[in-house]
Amino acid sequence: MWLIFKKEILELLRDRKTLFFMIALPLAVFPLIFGGMAYFGYQAVQESQTKTLQYAVSGAKYAPSLMEALKEVESLELIELDADLTDKEQVSQIIDNEEVDFVLQIPENYGNDVLSAGQITLKLVLNDSQLNSVRSRITDITDEIESTNQRNAFASLDVSEAIQEAMLNPIVIEKVNLADSREQAGAQFGGFIPYFMFILCLQGAMIPAADIGAGEKERGTLETLLLSPIERHKIVLAKFMTISTAGVTTAMITVLSMAIWTVVISIYTQASFIVEFLSAIDWLDFILVFLMLVPVVATFSSLLLALSIYARSFKEAQSYMTPLIFVTFIPVIITLMPGIELKGVWAWIPLTNVALAIKELVKGTMDYVQLIGIFGSSVILAGALLGFCVYWFKQEKVLFR
Amino acid sequence: MIEIKQLAKKFKVENPKKLSEQDKKDPRLKGRFFHSVKDVSLRCEQGQVLGLLGPNGAGKTTTLRMLSTALQPDAGSITLGDVDVIKDPVTARKKIGFLSGSTGLYGRLTGRENIAYFGRLNGMNESMITARLNEIADQLDMHSFLDRRSENFSTGMKQKTSIARAVIHSPEVVILDEPTTGLDIMAAKTVIDFIKDLKQKGVPVIFSTHHLDEVTELCDHITVIDHGTTTFDGVLSDFVALAPDNLHEAFMKTLHTENMDQR
Repeated sequence: MWLIFKKEILELLRDRKTLFFMIALPLAVFPLIFGGMAYFGYQAVQESQTKTLQYAVSGAKYAPSLMEALKEVESLELIELDADLTDKEQVSQIIDNEEVDFVLQIPENYGNDVLSAGQITLKLVLNDSQLNSVRSRITDITDEIESTNQRNAFASLDVSEAIQEAMLNPIVIEKVNLADSREQAGAQFGGFIPYFMFILCLQGAMIPAADIGAGEKERGTLETLLLSPIERHKIVLAKFMTISTAGVTTAMITVLSMAIWTVVISIYTQASFIVEFLSAIDWLDFILVFLMLVPVVATFSSLLLALSIYARSFKEAQSYMTPLIFVTFIPVIITLMPGIELKGVWAWIPLTNVALAIKELVKGTMDYVQLIGIFGSSVILAGALLGFCVYWFKQEKVLFR
Repeated sequence: MIEIKQLAKKFKVENPKKLSEQDKKDPRLKGRFFHSVKDVSLRCEQGQVLGLLGPNGAGKTTTLRMLSTALQPDAGSITLGDVDVIKDPVTARKKIGFLSGSTGLYGRLTGRENIAYFGRLNGMNESMITARLNEIADQLDMHSFLDRRSENFSTGMKQKTSIARAVIHSPEVVILDEPTTGLDIMAAKTVIDFIKDLKQKGVPVIFSTHHLDEVTELCDHITVIDHGTTTFDGVLSDFVALAPDNLHEAFMKTLHTENMDQR
């Protein structure tokens, strides 16, 4: 059995395609993709938020103080237009023709005395599909004027500052969270960890599985292997171990790569909570997370091997395996839904229970006794599937399709 | 010595609608089952070369696959020396060297690694493998490409490597399914010489072929299979005597006459 396992691993290590998916992709390509996305996304947002916007105003004469404030903003440029800026159609045409980025309509009742002017509605007409933060740029100015106007109004009514505060915010909710930072972060991000791990294990195992089952059938080497004096179950075990090793290795490399890059990014962006969160998880829980992955990988490997043995060619095997990714999504997506906890029926659904257990481990709230049951049932499922693989591998109708 | 008696094997036809018109007319198709081999018997003694002949689809490859333990027969017996091949396939595999017609190599391994791997699977240690591999490489003229990855091999190189892999463990019987198909003249000669050498060493060889000149050059015994049954089983001289001036005619005479119009 070990002879076959060693040969399979040697072959995998000499396969550029497998090496790319197992090592290069997680080590370099993922960080490049995510880093690139973050960089270009940040650049795009920065550019759009600092871009100088051109605007036109109707009713400027009603709000001289507001106009003064607007003119002081460097990233806003007032444009004078010969058009009726109160007319809906004309304004719409101006915006569509990109003559200005937005039009501000100031009503006649605009005034700084709240008590006489009442509530004022400023209309901001724009095409809001751009990331220009127009509203927030205007709000920054009006908030200040609004605050001053409020204070002046309260002062004229002879209302103390404490009463003013109470009138503006009659009820204040103060949250006293007893969950520590690990539990909070775990509840938010813990569900994503099994999601990534499961998909990565499956992804990493897929190409080797297609290669050492259907690929071997296609190349004509399987028949020769079947004629060696090695019992069929040992051949299956060797292939199963190869696929599992590939799956776990890919997952480990990817997680390690992501962890390193996350820490690096968090240091540079001063997001210290990530480092604090990671360092709050103790080693036992880290080990248990990986231990829980063992039956998951075994389940995936058995399923992939069964499909691969059945397929006539590498391509056919891949077409059978792709839907498995979607099948895997469902039980893991469930764990991301609010209110789903490791209780009742959820504790007995394969993959979902492991995903929920990993989430609890990350949060630091796992009941370790329950973990034994989940691990045991997952091992039984993986064992049954492996048994099916051995049975499958002895069927002539499968081997010689 | 290897002997098979009244061997039979049928396959379930998964989708009868997909069968060709010729297959639908084949008398071996009964309901949802195709009786690929119905009644085949043969015997190959020590030092004999047995030529297995038959038209395409006659059941030669299925017979050889049953002989090599790849397929389990539905009926009949296979005996290799004192081993019941059907009851104890693992023991039988150690004694058989099989080259199938659709054989392949592990492309990412070198020729040497391919051959040595099967030596190890057959329980040989490293020194035994090295010695035997050098011996076979000399015979098959393989030294020039033995340490190259087999994905870049020519057809001849692949076939020589496959033969070397099949006999690395010095099997008691060698079964070769069309070993010279697709080879150039030089490579085919090397393979024929190798079979002659096995014969000299007393190793029984069963090989299927469509080349009748190879039959006269190598074989002591001829077995013809047609429509899954043995239609001729005898020594080379008896086969030649069927039509002394024309081996092709001799071969045609051994086939089922009622099926001739289908060919």
